[in-house]
Amino acid sequence: MIKLQRCADCGAAQYPPREFCGACLSDRAAWETADSLPGQVLACTTLHHSNEPAFRPRLPLKVGLVHLDAGPVLICFVMRAAAGDAVNVRVGPDDLLEAIG
Amino acid sequence: MSSRDQVTKSARTYDGVVLCCPVTEPYVRRSEHGAAWFLARALRRLIDASGVARHAIDGLCVSSFTLLPDTAVAFTQQVGLSPRVLEWLPMGGACGIVALRRAARAVQAGDAEVVACIAGDTANDRSFRDLLAGFSTFSRDAVYPYGAGGPNASFALIADAYMRATGATREDFGKLAVAQRTNARRNPLALLRGELTLADYLAARPIAEPHHLFDCVMPCAGADGFLVMTETRARTLGLKFVRVLGAIERHNAFPDDPVALRGGWAMDRDALWSQAGIGPKDVQLVQTYDDYPVISMLQFEGLGFCDAGAGPAFVRRHDFTVDGSFPHNTGGGQLSMGQAGAAGGYLGLVEAMRQLLGDATERQVANARHALVSGFGMINYDRGLCSAAAVLGRA
Repeated sequence: MIKLQRCADCGAAQYPPREFCGACLSDRAAWETADSLPGQVLACTTLHHSNEPAFRPRLPLKVGLVHLDAGPVLICFVMRAAAGDAVNVRVGPDDLLEAIG
Repeated sequence: MSSRDQVTKSARTYDGVVLCCPVTEPYVRRSEHGAAWFLARALRRLIDASGVARHAIDGLCVSSFTLLPDTAVAFTQQVGLSPRVLEWLPMGGACGIVALRRAARAVQAGDAEVVACIAGDTANDRSFRDLLAGFSTFSRDAVYPYGAGGPNASFALIADAYMRATGATREDFGKLAVAQRTNARRNPLALLRGELTLADYLAARPIAEPHHLFDCVMPCAGADGFLVMTETRARTLGLKFVRVLGAIERHNAFPDDPVALRGGWAMDRDALWSQAGIGPKDVQLVQTYDDYPVISMLQFEGLGFCDAGAGPAFVRRHDFTVDGSFPHNTGGGQLSMGQAGAAGGYLGLVEAMRQLLGDATERQVANARHALVSGFGMINYDRGLCSAAAVLGRA
């Protein structure tokens, strides 16, 4: 399940998470859950270098900027998609977000 | 609009305040010294270059990433200064211009008479990774876990979107990088002075596509600094100086843009040029914050040198070397000088000062009367949050 914060007062969705609503400063930023969230890939990069040794065996890694239909923009791994594609963002096996075209 | 509205909207000028003594503690690829050593060296250079007694420095602006856990506060005790104005400006690539603004206002208000502005960092095998891993809460939670590509990856996403939106090519980015290397070959302070051709640039290994090796700055250690004081004081001391014709900053501009294809300059550039009393065509040299060539192109657009989205055509039309039609990053920029952490936010400023003082030796731009310097800093999540710019003038 993927969780996204949505303000119980003004309804704005936000990411990355924080302890308050960045749109109206309410402290009632509540969690919504879904199997996946639809969005569109705005841009992609393929990493050939990582600053963390643990990632190095997995290079090259494709990472993208995804504009969720709900509003926020997130950075995630991109599995089978390119810039401009409609995707669904889900939580992958390593608890990190990934976009699937 | 009534004249009263205009008065409230336009900031006071920087008349009567000047910048003196650009100094650089030479950059090195790695160092066993701590950040305080580099900052202290820059401070010593300011004292030696100006003849100002150490106790006469009553204002201090400091920027550094690797000085932590210390800040400007701890640094005062380490170097034995007792300033009555103290600024800690963790604004990365914008810190030099922000320091200039804080220092100039302090001097104008009489809160301080001589303000030393310094930025510097050390570099070793661990410092860069530690900096990236703990850069910000958003970065730690929502960027670094995705491959730990650091700023190379974050700015690669912006570059990819920019290429898609404007038709910019790797050749356009390469033209800027190659011109800066050409300039660096005339600057003894540049760390990277070997010849770089467009073919070398294009053949370099990929780092975070579309960024390849020569799109990325090389982290290093070093420090830069300058002094801010009244023109009267500078004349009394017999110091050469540069005037501040205008300066702006803006933080977290355009937060609703899904991808950051513009920095904050567009919000304030009219105020900048209006305050300066000149326009983009009236500067003889431009120093942008070049952590990546694409970011320089955003500055050309944002500061009014060309229209939004017209960066590629602008790059194709100009020659960016010291002797070219648009002298840009005349010391080599960070791409060829290295990025000494927060000093990257000072590098363009001290280079512009040297040019306007006529001290740029073999890379001197002919008839340099006005310079534009811009800064861009702090990729907190998906974009740089701090934008700044200044127009400087020869005295």
